[in-house]
Amino acid sequence: MPNLTLKQRLYQRYWQLLSRYLNKRQPAADKVRLVQKLIFILPTRYGWWFVLLITLLYLLGTNYQNNLILLLCYLLLSVFLVNIVLAYQNISGLTLQCKQAAEGFAGEVITAVVNLSNDKKHLMLNMNFVQPDNTKNTDARQNETVLLSQPATTATLNLNGTKRGKYALPRIKITSQYPFGLWRAWSYVALAQHYWVYPTPDADKSVLNSLSNDASQQAKTDAGETLSPYRAGDSVRHMVWKRLARDPANPVVRQQHFSAQAEPSWVVVPQLSGDALERALRYACQQLLQLEQSGSSYGLKLPALTLPQAKGPQHLQRCLQELALC
Amino acid sequence: MLTQQKLKQKNLLLSWAAIQFSLLLLLQQAFAGWVIAIFALLLLYRLLSVFKAKAAISLKLVNLLAGIIAITFFLQLQQAGVLHFMLQILLLAATARLLALQHLYEARQLVWVHYFLIACCFILHQDMLIAVFILLVFAVNLYSHYRLFSPSVSQVNWLQTGRSILIILPLWLAMFLLFPRLPPFWQIPNANIASTGLSDTLDPGSIEQLVQDDSLAFRVEFDGALPPRQQLYWRARLYEDFDGRRWQVNALRKNASRQRAADTTADSSLSYRIIAEASQQTGLFALATPVTSSSNVFISPSGLLSSNKPVSQRLSYQVSSSLTPVVLVSEQEQQLNLRTAPGNPQTQQFAYQLKQQYPQSHELVQALAEHFRQQAFYYSLTPPPLGRNSIDAFLFDSRIGFCSHYASASAVILRHAGIAARVVGGYQGGNWHPQQGYLAVRQREAHAWVEYLHNGVWQPFDPTAAVAPERILNSLDSALPEDQRALLDPGWRQLALLQNVRQQLMHLDYYWSVWVLGFDDTSQRQLWRNLYRHLPVIGYSVAALFVLVMLLLLYFRVRQNRTDNTPEATKQLYRYLGKMLAAKPPSLPVSAFLLQCAKRYPAHDIYLKQLTELYEQALYKEDTEALNQLKQLLKCHKAELGRLRRAIKNA
Repeated sequence: MPNLTLKQRLYQRYWQLLSRYLNKRQPAADKVRLVQKLIFILPTRYGWWFVLLITLLYLLGTNYQNNLILLLCYLLLSVFLVNIVLAYQNISGLTLQCKQAAEGFAGEVITAVVNLSNDKKHLMLNMNFVQPDNTKNTDARQNETVLLSQPATTATLNLNGTKRGKYALPRIKITSQYPFGLWRAWSYVALAQHYWVYPTPDADKSVLNSLSNDASQQAKTDAGETLSPYRAGDSVRHMVWKRLARDPANPVVRQQHFSAQAEPSWVVVPQLSGDALERALRYACQQLLQLEQSGSSYGLKLPALTLPQAKGPQHLQRCLQELALC
Repeated sequence: MLTQQKLKQKNLLLSWAAIQFSLLLLLQQAFAGWVIAIFALLLLYRLLSVFKAKAAISLKLVNLLAGIIAITFFLQLQQAGVLHFMLQILLLAATARLLALQHLYEARQLVWVHYFLIACCFILHQDMLIAVFILLVFAVNLYSHYRLFSPSVSQVNWLQTGRSILIILPLWLAMFLLFPRLPPFWQIPNANIASTGLSDTLDPGSIEQLVQDDSLAFRVEFDGALPPRQQLYWRARLYEDFDGRRWQVNALRKNASRQRAADTTADSSLSYRIIAEASQQTGLFALATPVTSSSNVFISPSGLLSSNKPVSQRLSYQVSSSLTPVVLVSEQEQQLNLRTAPGNPQTQQFAYQLKQQYPQSHELVQALAEHFRQQAFYYSLTPPPLGRNSIDAFLFDSRIGFCSHYASASAVILRHAGIAARVVGGYQGGNWHPQQGYLAVRQREAHAWVEYLHNGVWQPFDPTAAVAPERILNSLDSALPEDQRALLDPGWRQLALLQNVRQQLMHLDYYWSVWVLGFDDTSQRQLWRNLYRHLPVIGYSVAALFVLVMLLLLYFRVRQNRTDNTPEATKQLYRYLGKMLAAKPPSLPVSAFLLQCAKRYPAHDIYLKQLTELYEQALYKEDTEALNQLKQLLKCHKAELGRLRRAIKNA
């Protein structure tokens, strides 16, 4: 554990204990409905201030022997108490489901779509994934929180993928302070779903050059391709989606120069290990994306597995998944 | 969306400004004029900036401004008192926060301080109407608090609000009634507000001013029947020092009020409860000789009641009095009340004559009363100004005076005649409300009379009774001539309708002060005792209610089950397509009918087929997912449904 402050360490320990408890209480399930068993409620910081207010008013009312101040104090106290129920009601009954596994490239923000169904109005829900494993810095731990101020059917949550692989979806933290911000009702929901982190596409093929000449033919097709700004009429198929996601204002398309009857090609990942393997995988990923974009058939050869040639998004997904698992 | 966000903010800002204006209005008693002016200016500036959609002032500037103002407040601390200083600082904090408010989350502190200030208003105001107003301000603040944590465009969910109120109300009342009441923990600063009612000095003109004040002084409930009016002399002050012109309370009395008299030998024939209005004075009221009292007030040896601190809010206390005159406390007291002041030679002369004629003191008093009755003395609210020898001028020259003139003159005559005498200030009579069962004593019932020493007791003597017996037997109004009555009643008060409304409000206010303000640990203990006594009854009724509710629930459940075995999917279809399905022959299944429709109206073919498929899946496969989709489909395509309905209608 490098350079962790005491606070972070404590938080990790706390999260470990909490996860153990939560795993027993709510093991991952396809569909989770928030019921009493899963909801925690504690006062917020403002709630504690409110308690202080009530105490002060009680002292004031008692010292002045003033029934009206006491009345107001009790009114605030009953509002405070009833808020427990209101906060609970606002969050209970919400059903969460994640139908599709999220996917994305390492180092990018991966978005997972969570389906919500509800029988009543849930307002002001905050949702985020709890990923305490990423200990690189404190910011990475807390994923961006999504606020659903109105009832919604889906929520798009962000995940941080740092290393390729297949991971179980982390717990979703749903919190709500509605209606008066005095109590926080929250729940950690584990959904039985995965998310994929694919290797980052990377055109650096230095690893391969030194290794084999197998890919030299591939290199030629690469050379016949340039990037240029999108103009009206360009095929959407040639859009560089990755760039678009980064910079939606300036779409970029690939100008493909190779001929339509290009040979069905193979993407090969040789037997490697460590950093070299990672680089090879990144390059393979880049190749796969390009091939899919060009519309040609392609296959994937891994040391342990060969995927026959085909094309289409499903095939691409399958290939990328194998890369992630490799 | 953005404009709505802004609009909401504007509304919120306006409501907070309104809250602060009302707080300023409610707390104005506690603030000096220039303080009010500062706050009003700050708030007006804020309002202007809201309307002109200007940005809030920077925090730095506001802090600087608030700091300067806070220092000026602090410099005036001596003058304002600690309580007022606290209120000023709190309101300043709220106003400054409002001035610099930029983000909604910053408003949380603002709302918090508002809650506290609203509660502080109750220190100064306990009238029912004002209390209702304060609660209204509280409700606005609560709403703005809700707005801080709710979506910007949502409407208030009235159903939920109603349900919450139904829970809150009993909880609130139960807490108020049953939560233990504690004695004050420590001494707290009081508001320094000008006191009302009788003062420590009695000028010839002071009571005339007081009786023009129509406000309530105190209210009395008698445990038994109402005593006759002639006995309703509420003693409040003893004036024993006379300087030739004005009477003053002796310094001895002011200090000696703390000791409780433990005279239990006298029988207490009259028991009553007094609810005194806030007067900012310690002096309270009792009839004749008070024997016992509740623990929050003290009985001094001279028979006066006082509380241990100035009455800054309505105070309720129980007294039992014996209707016998007050006993002489000490030799010193007698000496004190024999002192005479120089001047008024004619009066002295008159006193000596009387003394020679009537050596017995009560004979002399009788003669004096007879003198007032026989000679041409007049009772008036507007007596002419008197010269340096005021008693002489009154007795032998103008002969027009108010109760204080008569009392003062009588006491001086008695002292010159060698009889210890003093002037008593207080109230006489009161307005009896038989339906509500209380006596309302207002400032206009203020009165002054005389007590003289006879056989070791202080005999009361009211010279006004000799001059204007109607004043004692009836009321002040009947004792005064027509033109002077108008002085007591400004024009609008004479309208019968308004008078009536005012009366009703006063009664409501009475119940308010008895049940809400007067609810103390004694009443609480009483309540607990009653609860305990009726515990079995309460328990049974709660159990019975519970059983009844359960039975009702069971009944409805059974009925629902019996009548309602149509599947959910069918219900949903009927809910949205009821009119269309009404045309369906009973022999035809729903899905077959829908398919027929699809054929007949090709424009809606896809939609109807979709519906049919989902419906069949939901019905026969019992697929909940399909059911949900069906619901969704029905819900989201209302426009299409409408078109379909119209098509059927036109066909």
